[in-house]
Amino acid sequence: MRNLNISMRAAAALAASIGLLAFVSGARAQENGVTPSEISIGAIGALTGPLAFIGAPGRDSMTMAFEEINAKGGVCGRKLALGFEHASSPAESIAAVKKLVEQDKVFILVLASGSTGAAAAADYVRQAGVPTYNLYGSTPIIRNPFAKNVFHGAVVPVEVSAAALISMFYDGGYTPKKFGLLAGTYAFPQATLKAAQDILKQKGADVTVEQFDIGARDFTSQLVSLQRQNVDSVLLLGSFSEAGFAIKQARELGMTNVRWVVDGSAVSTAIIPILGNADGIRGYYNAPAFPGQTPATREFEARLKKHLGSLPQGRPSIYDLIGYGSGYVVAEAIKATNCQLTRGNLIDAWSGLKDAGPTLLGGLDVTFPESYAPTDHQGVYRIGAAIVKDGQWQVYRVIDKP
Amino acid sequence: MLAELGFVVVAGLKFGALYALAALGLVVVHKATKTVNFAHGAFAMLGAFASFLIVVNWQWPYWAAYLMIPPAIGIVAAAIEFLILRRLRQADMFTVVIATVFLGIAIAEGFRLTYNTELLAVPSLFAGPPFRVAGVFVTRDTAWVIAGALATAFACIAVFRSGRLGRGMRAMAANIRGAQLCGYSIDGVYMLAWFLGGALAGFTGVFIAPVTGVSVDLSIAIITAGFVAGVIGGFDSPAGAIAGGLLLGIAESLAAAYVSSAMKNCISFLLLFLVLMWRPQGLFPEGSGRSV
Amino acid sequence: MSERRLDLAALAPASFIIVCAAVGLRLDSYPQYVIAVAIISMLVGIALVLLVGLGRCITLASGSIMAIGGYASTLAVADLGVPYLATLALAILAGGAAGWIIAFPGTRFRGHNLAMVTLVFQSVCIILIRQATWLTGGAEGIHVPAPQLFGLTIASDRAFLILIGGAAAVMTLFLSILTRGPFGKNLQAAAGNEIAAEAFGVSVRGYLTAAFVVSSLAIAFAGALLAPRVRILDPDSFGVLESIFMLAYPIVGGMHSVWGGLLGGGALRIAPELLRPVADYQELFFATLVIFVVMFFPGGLIELIRRAAGLLLVDSLDKHFDALHAVDAASLRVPVGAIHGLIGPNGAGKTSLFNIISGFLDADGGRVAFAGTSLLEMRARDRIALGMTRTFQNVAIFGQLSCLDNVIIGLGRNAVVHAVATSFDQFAAGAATQGARRRALAALASVGLAGQARARAGSLSLGDQRRLEIARAVVSRPRLILLDEPVSGLSESEVEELRNLLIRINAGSRCLS
Repeated sequence: MRNLNISMRAAAALAASIGLLAFVSGARAQENGVTPSEISIGAIGALTGPLAFIGAPGRDSMTMAFEEINAKGGVCGRKLALGFEHASSPAESIAAVKKLVEQDKVFILVLASGSTGAAAAADYVRQAGVPTYNLYGSTPIIRNPFAKNVFHGAVVPVEVSAAALISMFYDGGYTPKKFGLLAGTYAFPQATLKAAQDILKQKGADVTVEQFDIGARDFTSQLVSLQRQNVDSVLLLGSFSEAGFAIKQARELGMTNVRWVVDGSAVSTAIIPILGNADGIRGYYNAPAFPGQTPATREFEARLKKHLGSLPQGRPSIYDLIGYGSGYVVAEAIKATNCQLTRGNLIDAWSGLKDAGPTLLGGLDVTFPESYAPTDHQGVYRIGAAIVKDGQWQVYRVIDKP
Repeated sequence: MLAELGFVVVAGLKFGALYALAALGLVVVHKATKTVNFAHGAFAMLGAFASFLIVVNWQWPYWAAYLMIPPAIGIVAAAIEFLILRRLRQADMFTVVIATVFLGIAIAEGFRLTYNTELLAVPSLFAGPPFRVAGVFVTRDTAWVIAGALATAFACIAVFRSGRLGRGMRAMAANIRGAQLCGYSIDGVYMLAWFLGGALAGFTGVFIAPVTGVSVDLSIAIITAGFVAGVIGGFDSPAGAIAGGLLLGIAESLAAAYVSSAMKNCISFLLLFLVLMWRPQGLFPEGSGRSV
Repeated sequence: MSERRLDLAALAPASFIIVCAAVGLRLDSYPQYVIAVAIISMLVGIALVLLVGLGRCITLASGSIMAIGGYASTLAVADLGVPYLATLALAILAGGAAGWIIAFPGTRFRGHNLAMVTLVFQSVCIILIRQATWLTGGAEGIHVPAPQLFGLTIASDRAFLILIGGAAAVMTLFLSILTRGPFGKNLQAAAGNEIAAEAFGVSVRGYLTAAFVVSSLAIAFAGALLAPRVRILDPDSFGVLESIFMLAYPIVGGMHSVWGGLLGGGALRIAPELLRPVADYQELFFATLVIFVVMFFPGGLIELIRRAAGLLLVDSLDKHFDALHAVDAASLRVPVGAIHGLIGPNGAGKTSLFNIISGFLDADGGRVAFAGTSLLEMRARDRIALGMTRTFQNVAIFGQLSCLDNVIIGLGRNAVVHAVATSFDQFAAGAATQGARRRALAALASVGLAGQARARAGSLSLGDQRRLEIARAVVSRPRLILLDEPVSGLSESEVEELRNLLIRINAGSRCLS
């Protein structure tokens, strides 16, 4: 008898939770994400945890973009509303996407997520058919197989970024003799590593590969091994903290005649204090100019500061720029439907977008324009080559599609 | 070839000295209170963050950081003992482990929420050319970390060995009722042990900040390394903690250089596993084991 | 009667899971997804209660075990074309093997060293999964194909919920049966007092190894169930932090019962969905919740629920004997599992209060409720049917009857008609009589009077008579026993004995539910 009492109470408690869940989730249901006054756009990304440096700027800058657009009257007479859900791992991403797509019935889904989460979400949306915009995911597992409703924006596939990285070794008349590849063992760097290795194999280059764990701070063993091979060109695939400490240690070990090229996620102002003097380090950048390099980016920085109240170290980052530009691309895709706002029309309109970007709707020119075709949903193939000069990053060359 | 080995060993010594300091903090608390503080890494992270504040934000000299931070973190640790751990003194060990594990997570999360950046860089202490020892470049900072961390550790052991409070802690660890009868108060000794442990965590944080920068994963890295080093050295022996830390650092560095760089963490765990299986009381146990 | 009750109790958690799934089928697909995942976490919680709560083993390897189950199932389906149900069995085997591997060194240690061994296993596993890109896809992860079951593809949330609900219920039933049966009891003995356990044939290493194996196979099973739901399996989803957060399931829910693991797992898995508006603070919230629970509610949510079920409630009771105000606005609240003492000098009104509660005296004002039922209008003789018994200040045993017969009366159900029927049953040496005798003997044994079963109750010493009274009061497994001055007239050593007996009885009854 006692057992029944407890069972009933436990059942009541859990049923209450489920009921609350139903209530919470049922509250915001809309038809197809479009109302006479609002278009709802859902996004998922990491707001906490190790990948928060991707998701949080995505949310902040896209919100800022939508605010600017709404201030000018919105799109098709409606305001753009962004619903951003935290998600990092596949499990969280599926839950978040289901909530946005099935519960909140958003019109468009934006993936501002790290690779595994985005991959899981992409897998789901391929079946669900909702228009989906992948902002930051560069790994192949997100892009294959092709899906009519998934669009890839500013971040290029790893094959393109790897080619750009390799080409930077030849800039300025430099002739690399021996290559070193120093890559993290987690998803981002591994995908780029594979692509880079393929390219270098085709060139017949002499390559030594070393790897490190995520968050590593001591690279002595890897650097000693590279030094042993007398490498003079090192491709570093990792975050800015890993790259920063690796290069710092390399210099302490006496490796001074090395050309360093780093992955895009390391091209950030935050790497400079780690090294003190970071001049000469190169990397790719998914935007035509680094923040501070042009009047448009300086204005962007000012607006972001006003939007956030204060600028944490390293912001605005590339993820801020991309988030902002992508917000405008979304608006333009919507506009291109001639205000026949169905998901099918949106997908068709998006597949025909040419040179979409902030400038078309009065925004700041901080990103590469995006163009799509019915069978090619990669919006951008261009990539910037950046270098640190006088303590500042700047994009010195734009690399077009190889 | 030999110079290469030298680099690897020096790097191993550098991290080894830091692990030794971290392990010592754990062992001191464990020796006195029979609990392992899994929030130790989080305390060290706070220490590292504090040194960022002092050196980078407020632009005070480095020695101010070394002087102020350890006692400050020690006070934080003692406060936590008073507020949280005291209630759990009667609870079984599992409960205490869980409490300190999640305490560490809570502190790390709290830090991340207030200062949401991936990494805060802290500048080196010494500018100037590196030393050359037997063909190996040793930067001034590296020399400082090795010498300073080890000196601090030995100083702490001296304090622990001599002095009334040190004796009190050892007495309490051996026989609680007996120690009470001799006039030592449990509350006082426990709080002091946590203060010492916290201070050591603070030292670890200040030493490690220029080496790795300040980030949230520092807390997990330090507790893992400190714990492994403690087990290797023998959890009740302060000298063992230092030896364990150095051994771990050097073994990691050698394994990463000559076996596989990606499996660095794997190697330290395997070493731990070997020690556990072969000599579970640690390599330098203090006192003899009792079997029932 | 009691045997049947135990069966139901073992079925209850599994039925609860089926009920959850059934409730979910009536909701939209997003809640269906959440409930499915929550059910999987409930299973993990139960498995962890077995290992962590009953076996008292700290494990930081649960993440890697889930990964093993998930990857084993996914790779078998994707690379070898094995049907999904068969891969569930494969996951169970893999998990069990992993548990055995951990237990091999693990059972040599307790406490921190055990935690270390499991941490080693966890880290090495994840690193290996990450490095073996040719097999596991490495850090990027692999696609998990949709399960095929008897020609049907499980793709919709409804279908998944049915599959997961059913599978988890079966595994839960298995775990419940083990936990509640001698396996669970012996495991607790082995974990509680190794020497005593070994002395009675309970191999400590054997049971702890079994605990690892059983809980690991269940967790791996859960991992295999989860994999198709998350679509992408990657090693970082099963890291040390995940293991630590899974440890929170039994801690928050309650470490000593299947329900604790179930509640903890379910609640902690649903909570992030409810906390979406404050997602930034999620991990901080969880960590502080666990610390809070550990500090203030060491028994977890289950204990909280039990305590909230305050068993006896007395509110502003009043009793006058003419001018004497014997009971003056007395209020008290006795929660389940408590031993509550009523202390006062002679003439304070304690016995009067007891007599009101047990129905021998009417109250002048106030309320008395027992498990929600008001007692004031009830007759004294109806108390026992509710589960309340008492002893008396002046020992009130039936002196002419044997001790055994005294205790048999304590079983209750003594209505006239019923007694007529049971008399004939006794004549025919029927089963009911045997059952009653057995229970009475057990009660006498628990108070140490088994040898006096046939003795005339009146011939016992005072101390023994008090013990007889207690045996009579506990034999019906009541929910509340009122003891009126049970130690008056007893020697010091007898008082100590009685105290230990009461504590044992209280603890014993708590274990049963």
